[in-house]
Amino acid sequence: MTDAVRTQGLYKRFGHQTAVGGVDLVVPRGSFTGLVGPNGAGKTTTLSMITGLLRPDGGRIEIDGHDVWADPVSVKARIGVLPEGLRLFERLSGRELLMYGGQLRGIPIDEVGRRADELLRVMDLVEAQDKLVVDYSTGMRKKIGLAAALLHNPGVLFLDEPFEGVDPVSANTLIEVLRRYTASGSTVVFSSHVMDLVERLCDWVSVMNRGLVVAQGPLDDVRRGRTLNEAFLDLVGARGNGEEGLSWLGSPA
Amino acid sequence: MARVAGMTLLFVRLKLSLVRGGLRDDAGKQAGFVFSLAAALLAAVAGFALLSLIRLAPSGVALDLVTVAFAVFAVGWIVVPLTAFGLDETLDPARLAVFPLTTRQLATGMLAASATGAWPVASLAALFGGVVALSHGPGGVLLGVPAVVLQFAFCLTASRLVTTALSGVLRTRRGRDLLAVAAIFVVLLVQLPNLLVNRGLSGDPTRILASAGDVLRWTPPGLAAHAIADGGLIGVAELIVVAMAVVVLAWLWIVALRHALVRPDASTGSGGSVRRSGRVSIGRFLPDGMLGAVVAKELKYAGREPRGRVNWIVALFVTVIVTLSLHGQDGGAGLGSVLGPACLAAVMIGLQAGNSFGIDGGSLWMNAVAFSTPRDVRTDLAGRHLAMAVIGVPLLALVSLFAALVAGDAVWALAAAPIAWGVLGVAMGVGAITSVTAPYTYPARLNAFSGAAPGQGGQAFAASFATMLVTGVLTLPVVLPVLFGLTWWAVLAVPYGVGVAWAGRRIASGIGFARLPELLAAVSRPT
Repeated sequence: MTDAVRTQGLYKRFGHQTAVGGVDLVVPRGSFTGLVGPNGAGKTTTLSMITGLLRPDGGRIEIDGHDVWADPVSVKARIGVLPEGLRLFERLSGRELLMYGGQLRGIPIDEVGRRADELLRVMDLVEAQDKLVVDYSTGMRKKIGLAAALLHNPGVLFLDEPFEGVDPVSANTLIEVLRRYTASGSTVVFSSHVMDLVERLCDWVSVMNRGLVVAQGPLDDVRRGRTLNEAFLDLVGARGNGEEGLSWLGSPA
Repeated sequence: MARVAGMTLLFVRLKLSLVRGGLRDDAGKQAGFVFSLAAALLAAVAGFALLSLIRLAPSGVALDLVTVAFAVFAVGWIVVPLTAFGLDETLDPARLAVFPLTTRQLATGMLAASATGAWPVASLAALFGGVVALSHGPGGVLLGVPAVVLQFAFCLTASRLVTTALSGVLRTRRGRDLLAVAAIFVVLLVQLPNLLVNRGLSGDPTRILASAGDVLRWTPPGLAAHAIADGGLIGVAELIVVAMAVVVLAWLWIVALRHALVRPDASTGSGGSVRRSGRVSIGRFLPDGMLGAVVAKELKYAGREPRGRVNWIVALFVTVIVTLSLHGQDGGAGLGSVLGPACLAAVMIGLQAGNSFGIDGGSLWMNAVAFSTPRDVRTDLAGRHLAMAVIGVPLLALVSLFAALVAGDAVWALAAAPIAWGVLGVAMGVGAITSVTAPYTYPARLNAFSGAAPGQGGQAFAASFATMLVTGVLTLPVVLPVLFGLTWWAVLAVPYGVGVAWAGRRIASGIGFARLPELLAAVSRPT
């Protein structure tokens, strides 16, 4: 069986800085994958290149065995994307955004309407469906973004920091939807630096540091008896232990 | 006192390092900075020279001229930072709210920071031209220097007062939308005297100047100008009044600043009314599928996005003004005076198509992840063109009718309207190609005068200029025969325009699809 995602020697540099220096990412089909790494490790750059939003300087990317840059027709129908920063069509309402996205992908309008209504209900956005997206809170934006990414029932879903700035109630909704989605055999890849969450949700972990994958595999293989947080700090080499200097800091005895 | 001086120096250094930081690692921005420095130097020299040359005029006229010039400087200082630059980082007091600064340190520091920079120094240099123009003898020069410095201080404090008082408003989305619409009225106001002069309502420029001079005589800029000319004790008295005006403005500014520091940032509270989209959908009248979806989205954006609205309104305003002033200049006119405004409106509307994807900005990724063939890009462009035609075609018919009525014969509209539609088609076709070859980011914070993200201004200008030039050349085959009397030729304009638009989309779709990631990056630069 082919893997859901497989990259070979993926490479990207911006000016003098190498953002991604030869990443070999593997994501088995049907897995719930966490892509973790410190800020600046290259997670967003990697995800942007895999989803066809950023042109790599080198390397190969395959999704379900199809080359992303050579065969966009097969790939783009199979993937759903929730990019970083979440810039949406601000002047459309939530429902209009879903309708637009669905029609853009060639789904008949009646079917789009039916799916949009269900997604809005599950995401608890029925009340806000006619509000313009520009007036949405962060949590609502992530939910409507996820709804738009799921609308065409993709086989692989890429989410960049889906839980960042989201309140616990909305986060719970997002998690429930994603669990149901992977239970059916679809694949989720999401980036995060909240280790507890990754540990709780994922069965497959890829750890990135300084533009490279430093460890990947089933969750238990990566953490080897430790918590994921400890394993992560070991892998990326925790810098500075917070014990040197700062003699002036703190209340006087 | 020493603390205030040290803090002032710190603010100046902060401003300088912000400028330096903005230029790091970006050749385009560095070139733009050098260009702007050169332009400021040129403006300083030219402004100084022009003001100095006023000395050659009769003394009464010279005094009125300098008075008006000083007043224009003050108005410029108030308006330009609001519209053209928004708030730059040193000037937003909210960013400094957490530091333990006294209002006085803050006030002098921010004043010094806003005097730091090429353009403030250039305007100070130019103002000194007023001393050359008006001073008689050493007394005039002796008073002239403080007069110019006070006038400069007046400009700075007035400018700071207005930006600070409005900074709360400017930080909300609604306030910025409002300002965008207000900017149009500024444009209209600037055009108004021009229009009046053209209409010949008040033909004598020296009379206008004299009355303007009289009105402005007792404003602080007028007083400063008169102080230089009067010299002596009267001059000193006038300068004292200007200095008092500056102190009052500074005091008001400190009050506004204190208020701004403790007031919550209005942009974080979601307050205010929330807009809901009507459930009556435009989509009902549109074909199902991608084309209909794009048209519906574009039409909604034209109504809901202030940047979109501004473009349409400006196009309309300029056309009306040009129509009226053409009429004023030579009374009755031929078909040319109908065709001119109609085609101008068509080009101005069509220019919006020169950066079709810019209005989507960062949200263009949603299209990029869905488009899997060049055909999709072509459908997208077609949808955008169709939406523009839905609004533009009736609007151009109205403009043609208006121009024809002003020119004296409504029948001319029958020739002008089809040609304007044809020109719109050509502009869309050309614009499709510039949209994919030279895309740029529209700034999120709207300003009506420079329409691109920092560093992309030159490119935006070049793209618009190229669209205009190529459109002009391509429309010659339909416009020229009509101007030479072959009026029925106008019938061909519409199919010609449709053809060019089709060809433009066809060429652009291939290029655009191959460049999707670059396109996305170009329209979603940080602003």
